[in-house]
Amino acid sequence: MFKLFKKDLILFFHDQRSVILTFLLPVVLITLFAFAYGSLGGYDGRSEPVKLLVTDLDQSRSSKEIIYKIDSLKDIKTIISDSTNAKDLVIKGKYACALIIFKGFQDSLETGNSTPVEMVYDRSREMEIGILQQNLISTLMSLKGDIIVKKRIEKYLKSKFPFIDKSTGDDILKNTFIKDKNRPEIRWTPIVGMKNNTKLGLIQAVAGTSILMLLFSVAGVGSSILEEKENGTIHRLLYSPLKGSAILYGKMLFAFFISILQLTAMFLFAWLIFNMDLSINFPALILMIIATAFAVSSLGILLAALAKTRQQALNISTIIILIMSAIGGSMIPLFIMPAILQKIAFLSLNYWAIQGFYDIFWRVLPLEEILPKIALLISIGIVMTLASVQLFKKRIIKL
Amino acid sequence: MITVRSVSKSFGKIEAVRDVSFKINRGEIFGILGPNGAGKSTIVNILNTLIKPDTGDVIIDGINIRDDCDTIKLIMGVVPQEIALYEELSAFENMMFWGGLYNIPKHELRVKVNNTLGIVDLAKRKDDRIKTFSGGMKRRINIACSLLHNPRILVLDEPTVGVDPQNRNHIFEVIERLHNEGMTIIYTTHYMEEAERFCDEIAIIDVGHIIALGTLKELRKISDTKDLLTIKLESFNPEIISCIRSAIPSVRADSITRTLEIDCDNISNDISIMTNHIQTAGGVIERIYTRGTNLESIYLKLTGKELRD
Repeated sequence: MFKLFKKDLILFFHDQRSVILTFLLPVVLITLFAFAYGSLGGYDGRSEPVKLLVTDLDQSRSSKEIIYKIDSLKDIKTIISDSTNAKDLVIKGKYACALIIFKGFQDSLETGNSTPVEMVYDRSREMEIGILQQNLISTLMSLKGDIIVKKRIEKYLKSKFPFIDKSTGDDILKNTFIKDKNRPEIRWTPIVGMKNNTKLGLIQAVAGTSILMLLFSVAGVGSSILEEKENGTIHRLLYSPLKGSAILYGKMLFAFFISILQLTAMFLFAWLIFNMDLSINFPALILMIIATAFAVSSLGILLAALAKTRQQALNISTIIILIMSAIGGSMIPLFIMPAILQKIAFLSLNYWAIQGFYDIFWRVLPLEEILPKIALLISIGIVMTLASVQLFKKRIIKL
Repeated sequence: MITVRSVSKSFGKIEAVRDVSFKINRGEIFGILGPNGAGKSTIVNILNTLIKPDTGDVIIDGINIRDDCDTIKLIMGVVPQEIALYEELSAFENMMFWGGLYNIPKHELRVKVNNTLGIVDLAKRKDDRIKTFSGGMKRRINIACSLLHNPRILVLDEPTVGVDPQNRNHIFEVIERLHNEGMTIIYTTHYMEEAERFCDEIAIIDVGHIIALGTLKELRKISDTKDLLTIKLESFNPEIISCIRSAIPSVRADSITRTLEIDCDNISNDISIMTNHIQTAGGVIERIYTRGTNLESIYLKLTGKELRD
C-alpha cells in the first residue's frame, strides 16, 4: 500500500500540470475571491462605499441638510445629478439607484403632507439597495422624523377637534411628543466575528475555494484508478502478491495525503498573504482539515468506482462537484443564497466543511462545538469508503 | 511443473474456457496459439490465480492454485499483453516499483534492476522516462519488470504485438536466453512463426477449447497436412494436362493461373516425378513453388479459418 502511495506521489510531482492545478490554481482563485468578497479593503463586507445619485429639485434648507447628512455617512457617497440624467445612468447600469427630492419637500415637512421623495433603482443590485435603504430611512427619520410626526399630530388635531384652543393643542403635543424619547431605541451589538481580525470574505474565499478545488483534485486521483485499469497496470498489480484492496487503500491514502497537503497549503497561503489568523483554534483547524480531507478523498474514490471509464468518471465528477459546490456554498456564500438553497445545502459535503471552517474562524467556537461537524465529515468518509470498496471489488478488479 | 486438468470457466452465458487439459514440463516453452477471443488470456489469468476456474484443477510446482495463491504469484512472472508501465516514470523507477512489490530488499533489487536492464539491452536508457521509449523498447522493459523476482515460470502474453523486426529480435534473444537458463515459459501468440521458432509444445485453442496439442511434428501428424508443390506452365494445353493426370490422378490444374498443384509426402521425390511427366507430355515449366507444412497450414486445416483474422 505504501509502495503504491509512494509511486503515486512520484508520478504526481513528475506531472507539472497536476501540481499547478492542485496548488497554483486554487491560490489564484482564493486571491480573486478574497478580493471579490471584499476582505482586503477597509470595510467589513465591501471594499468601497455605495454611490448614490441625488437630484435636488427642491433646493431648500431641509433638502440640502438631508443630502449633506447622507453624504457624511461612511457607507454612502452622493453624486449630484439632474433627474433625467440620474434615471438614465441607473437604466444604463452606471449606478444602482438615484434619490430624487422633488419641489415642495420643505413645504410638505411643514404641512405634514407626504414627502415628495422618490428612489429609482436597478432591481438586480439588491445588496447595494439594501444598504442604501437602511441608511436613508434612518437618516431621514433622525433628521426630520420629529417634524414629520409633530406636523401630522397637529394636522390630525385640527381636523378632528377644530375648536380646540392653541394652548391645549400645544399641551397635548408637549405631553405626547417628547423629543428624543419617542423613538424606540435598539442597541446593535455584533457578537459573531468580533473575536478575531479575519474577514468573513477571506474565510469564505479560502474555505469555499479550497474545498471546490480539492474535490477536483481527488476526482483526478480517483480517475487514475480507471486509467490504471485502461492501461493494464492494475492487472499487473494484481499479478503481484499485492491484494486488490491494497490497491484501493493505496489510492485512498494518496488522495487523503494530497487533500491534506492542498488544504494546508491554502490556509498557509491565506496566513502568509492575507494575514489570516490560523492560531485562533489550532487543534480544531487540524482536525477539520483531516476530516475534510478524508471525506473529500473518499468521495473522489467513490466517484471513480461508480464509473466504467476514465472519461465517464471525469464527466460524473464534474457534474457532482459543481452541483455540490454550488449548493454547498463553495461558489457563492451561503448567506446570500435564496432560502430554499440554504435549506438543501446540508446535502452537500462542501456545506459541512465550509461551516466547520466558519465555526473555527468566524464564530470562534470551542473545539467541542465543532466536533459534531468533524464527526459528521468522518462518518461521511467512512460510508463512502465502504461503498467504494464494494464497488471497486465488483467493477474495477473484475477481469 | 504445471498440470491443468479439465479446467472450465464461464462469464455469464459465455463459456470462455471449456474442458482444457495440458501438462508443461520444467524448462519447456509451451505455446498457446489461437485467434483473439479464443480464451488464451483467460487460461493465462487462471494460471496466475487472478481468475478461479469453475471446474477442474491447476497444479503448479505441486501446489493447487485454489490452496495457495500467494506462493503461486511468487513462482510466476507475467508479462501482460498491454504495456503495463508508468509512462511518467523512468525505466529504472518503473522496475524498482514493480520489483518492490515482491518485497525484495532495496539494495538487492537495485542490483537486479541494473542486471535485467542489461539483459534487455536498455541499461543506457535507464533514467529516461518510459514515454520517450519506442514501442519495442517499452515491450522490453515490460518483460524486464516481470523477471526481477526470479520467477520459475514466465508467462508471456503476446509479447511482440506491434513491435518492429529489430526489437522483435531483441525480445527473441531474451526469451532464448531465459530458456537456456532453464526457465519454464508459457507463450501465447497468434504469430505462427514465433510459436514454430520457440515452442517445444503447442496447444491450439479455438472458442475456449484445445483443438490440438503436441509438438510441431505431432500437430502435423494430427492435422494430416502435407507439403504443397505448385508448378507454373508457360502455356496451358488441355491435352498435356490430361496426359499428366493419367499418370498422376491427384494433380489439381488451374487454367487461369496455368498451374498444377499436388500435396506431397516427400517433396523432393515428388518434384522429379512431376517434372518428368510434364516434360514427357510436352509441357514447358515456367516456375516451381514449394510450401512446407507449417503451423499456419495446420491451424487452417484444423479450424478452417485464418488465424490472423
